[in-house]
Amino acid sequence: MLNGLNVVIKQTYRNHFKSRGYWLLVLSPIIFTAIIGGIVFGVTKMQGNTTPTVAIIGNQNVRQIFVKSDKTLDMKISSITDAKQANTALDKQSLDGVVTITSNDNATLTTQPKSNHINKEAIASILGNLSRTQKASSFGLTAEQTQALSQPFNLKSVVKQANNKSTNGDNSNTANYGIAVAIGIITWVVVMWYTSMIATEIANEKSSRIMETLLAATSSNIQYFGKMIGIFALAVTHMLIYVVAGTIGYFSFKDNAIVKSFSQTFSSMTLGFSIYAILFILVAIALYLVLTALIASLINDNSQVQQAIQPITFLAMIGYIFSFIMTNMPNNFAIKILSYVPFVSQSMMPVRLVTKVETWPGGIISLIIAFVSLILLAWFGKKIYAKNVLSYSDDKIMSQLIKNITRHD
Amino acid sequence: MIQLTHLSKRFGDKIAVNDLNMILEPGKVMGLIGQNGAGKTTTFRMILNFIVPTSGTITWDNRPITQKDKQKIGFLPEERGLYQKLTIEEQILYFAELHGMSRADAKSELTHWLKRLDVVGKASDKVQSLSKGNAQKVQMIASLIFKPEFIILDEPFSGLDPVNTSIMMSEIMRMRDQGAMIIFSSHDMNNVTKISDNLTMLKQGKSILQGGVQEIREQFGRTKVYIEGPFSREELAHLPGVINVIPQGAGFDLTITEDHVGHDIFTYVTKNGYIPAFSQQPPTLDDIFRQEVAHNA
Repeated sequence: MLNGLNVVIKQTYRNHFKSRGYWLLVLSPIIFTAIIGGIVFGVTKMQGNTTPTVAIIGNQNVRQIFVKSDKTLDMKISSITDAKQANTALDKQSLDGVVTITSNDNATLTTQPKSNHINKEAIASILGNLSRTQKASSFGLTAEQTQALSQPFNLKSVVKQANNKSTNGDNSNTANYGIAVAIGIITWVVVMWYTSMIATEIANEKSSRIMETLLAATSSNIQYFGKMIGIFALAVTHMLIYVVAGTIGYFSFKDNAIVKSFSQTFSSMTLGFSIYAILFILVAIALYLVLTALIASLINDNSQVQQAIQPITFLAMIGYIFSFIMTNMPNNFAIKILSYVPFVSQSMMPVRLVTKVETWPGGIISLIIAFVSLILLAWFGKKIYAKNVLSYSDDKIMSQLIKNITRHD
Repeated sequence: MIQLTHLSKRFGDKIAVNDLNMILEPGKVMGLIGQNGAGKTTTFRMILNFIVPTSGTITWDNRPITQKDKQKIGFLPEERGLYQKLTIEEQILYFAELHGMSRADAKSELTHWLKRLDVVGKASDKVQSLSKGNAQKVQMIASLIFKPEFIILDEPFSGLDPVNTSIMMSEIMRMRDQGAMIIFSSHDMNNVTKISDNLTMLKQGKSILQGGVQEIREQFGRTKVYIEGPFSREELAHLPGVINVIPQGAGFDLTITEDHVGHDIFTYVTKNGYIPAFSQQPPTLDDIFRQEVAHNA
């Protein structure tokens, strides 16, 4: 029995792993990401030097302050100090802008149509500070008093957790939304790829009558579980390839600003939570594979594959959609209930758990419900599979399924 | 020994197999004949446990057939099916492994099988590139390469030309000589006569004839006479005891009422001495099949 199961698992895995289609599936997102990254990099390079050159006309003391701050302002301060020369240079487009300081409270920034981006807020901030300092001085305030008046109000965002630990609210929200979307997308994409694969596999064997030859040597249970485990192993391999590629990518580009901000955003995720989320995704994928194998046994030929997997696609879409909307309403009653419903709970519960809306016992119960459902569905599915895999009906797939569920012969 | 005892299968109101009894012995070939829908494939499906009998039993050496036993069964289904995108080798190795044979052993055996069955192409060729006849041979190899103890062949010769039919028949006889129990179905009575030790004729699920091929033919008496000589059809048709006369090549096929009529006809046609051919035979399986089908209609 185990040997036969092993043979079917290996054959299913090997056939797909060696196929061009599988590698296209695995590599296309990596290639797509590389192409997009390449295009962004290329466009940035082609733009050349985008640092604007700005002339400061008027108060020379102010100009000196701008010269000292040019790095933080991300602009180059031109050596031109004469208004006429500056306007000529602006007309010739050799300057990006001219800041003309007319009084303590007024200045004009003049640009030309092809100017590179100039940070107006930063210019206004420097000029505003200077203006305030000068006014404070005229009011007879000390430097400390001036400094105290200039100090902006500090509003910090903190999320109070049940365990009295506080986390940075802004980062947590981004991370939670990111986790919700990532789990939703991963489950959705993997389910779409692999349900189609297992349905096609079973439809092909059934329609070409290979199934009879296979079942002459092994039982339908071996075929049913062997194929599912084989395809599940392919899905896991697929994800592992991405994990390895991601790890290599991370260590290759860890000094990159985007990668740094990404890893900082997700720093609130713990190892325990990561394992929990991965387990949930794997159980969800297995659930969808079992459901697909069960329905695919009712297919007569390959033309019915889409018809068979359509309801599964809709089911997967529910979780996918909720993964987007739930972060805004974590305490909604429907979302609370759906967090325990197999097939969609994988998109709800991990996020509710990481946002501390739900506690670990609730999270574990939801995972156990999904796992028990997987076992029950697999057990029920093997009966449906055995009953239908060698029979060919003209009825619609869903009506066949209903007949199978309601009839007990 | 495989034994089918009072085996019946009913689908709703329709009886597909009705109280069938059969014994298959090592080193013997059983031919299963019958019209389309007579219950041949249903019988095979029950043996393979694809469908459960309504009543009756199927045993292998007096015990039910287990999953482990199934690994020792070679089955060629009526509707052939192979993985079109796999190579011949990948395909055969998978089926061999399912039957408990190691990949290494199957790989070394495959070379001999491809040669013996005269398969046009290499082991690395994809099945989709093969002709129908060659694909059928590959399927036959998949069913037999692991040296099964029990072989079930559903219409093994359908769609094959005479040369390939002859090759397949040689393989079946080779497996029989190695001690395998073989049951096969066929519409071609000539092939059934050539390789069957025993036969079962099914009609509407019921066995209407069973036994050794020659024994069954003899049951119907030696009522077929072939004559070559200077005689007209009318002359022969008017002889006492002659039912009909059909021209056959250089002579005539006569159907007579009883064995002893042959003596009188022989005396008559040799009254002037030598004639090139006189042969008195029992009816062919083809004749018996037609007769029984008509008789039981």
